[in-house]
Amino acid sequence: MNPLPNIIINPKSAVPVYEQIKSSIRFAILSGKLKKDDKLMSLRDLSLKLKINPNTTLKVYYQLEVEGYVYSRPGSGYYVKTSSKGILNKRQIAIEKLTEDYLSKAVQLGNSLDDIIKVIKQTHEEKFKLKGGE
Amino acid sequence: MIEINNLSFNYGRLKVFDGFNLQIPKGQVCLITGINGVGKSTLLRLVARVLNPLSGEIRFPQITSPDPRSKIGFISDTLSLYQNLKVSQAIDFHKSVYKIQKFDDSLISHTKIKKNQRIKELSNGQKTIFHLSLILSAQPDIFLIDEVIHSIDAYLRKVFLEKLIDLLTEKKLTVIMVNLNFYDIENMIDRVILLKDGKTAVDEKIDDLKTKVKKITSSTQPKNIPILTEIHYSDHADYYVYPYETNDNDDMEGEIIDLDLTEIITAFIGGEYA
Repeated sequence: MNPLPNIIINPKSAVPVYEQIKSSIRFAILSGKLKKDDKLMSLRDLSLKLKINPNTTLKVYYQLEVEGYVYSRPGSGYYVKTSSKGILNKRQIAIEKLTEDYLSKAVQLGNSLDDIIKVIKQTHEEKFKLKGGE
Repeated sequence: MIEINNLSFNYGRLKVFDGFNLQIPKGQVCLITGINGVGKSTLLRLVARVLNPLSGEIRFPQITSPDPRSKIGFISDTLSLYQNLKVSQAIDFHKSVYKIQKFDDSLISHTKIKKNQRIKELSNGQKTIFHLSLILSAQPDIFLIDEVIHSIDAYLRKVFLEKLIDLLTEKKLTVIMVNLNFYDIENMIDRVILLKDGKTAVDEKIDDLKTKVKKITSSTQPKNIPILTEIHYSDHADYYVYPYETNDNDDMEGEIIDLDLTEIITAFIGGEYA
């Protein structure tokens, strides 16, 4: 059984359900939880698990395929495509997107760039370093 | 696919539809909503051919069978089951009428229904589940669900939902449902249609609908956006608006809040679209 990203659908969000699921799967691929050539759950299984319309699941897989995260084998299913080289590139894009969201909120709160950098370093020190991260 | 062209229908002098048009592509799951009495159930009955239109037509281009009714599964709250028959007799009857190869007992196997029980001895929820089993055994292309799922318990609703997902995966079933309790089926719906005065007042894909209906919490009334309904508090109000455009954001005072489908429908039928 392949690892399933912990997918939570927020019914109140205006972000479409298929986008919410896509970003969960993308995150699982970029973080290495899903590895190259891992098989994704079948259309039926993921629809059943999340209680969603199979049309939505199909849209998710189709778009992930177009974006280059997965490939399909006819009659067999969808598999993770991204190689470690591709991941580096996509990881860069993902961190840029996260930073943009975070920065725009932090700046709106009235923080200077120096303040923000200081807090990032401090938080990393307190929350991540002790757990054996770099 | 379902094509409704120029449909008119009256109950005596009460005009329900007058030149109504609607197309539902194959494989789509469509929710019809609107206030009580607007004609939702009537529309389902017309599609199911339980009622005949006064004029206009309802076509099913992909159904080749001479009698399309055999490929339309219709479940409503006024169940047409034969109270004195035993469960096993009702199954045999349906098998011969609808030329069913095999009765699909995957739903009733989750219940305490016994084949030698009479239908009138079943609870309302059990009758609904049994009726659903008969309908799904006929392998319909089109599945019409009038607000019946209320009567079945939470566990059977889950079983039913899983069955529906299976059917949508295996064959591109076209589904029209009326006003079901939204919470557990919200993510099954592709498209929402709101009826008002015999016409389609709102027709949106679910993802678009969620972008376009918002709650704005503010002390001043938002300008230039149609307000569906509003709730006033001592120093501010919640304004439910539609259609909201993302660039309306610029000069908006107050907080803009996303809504789930239940809140969206409530805002529509509690307000301007009633």
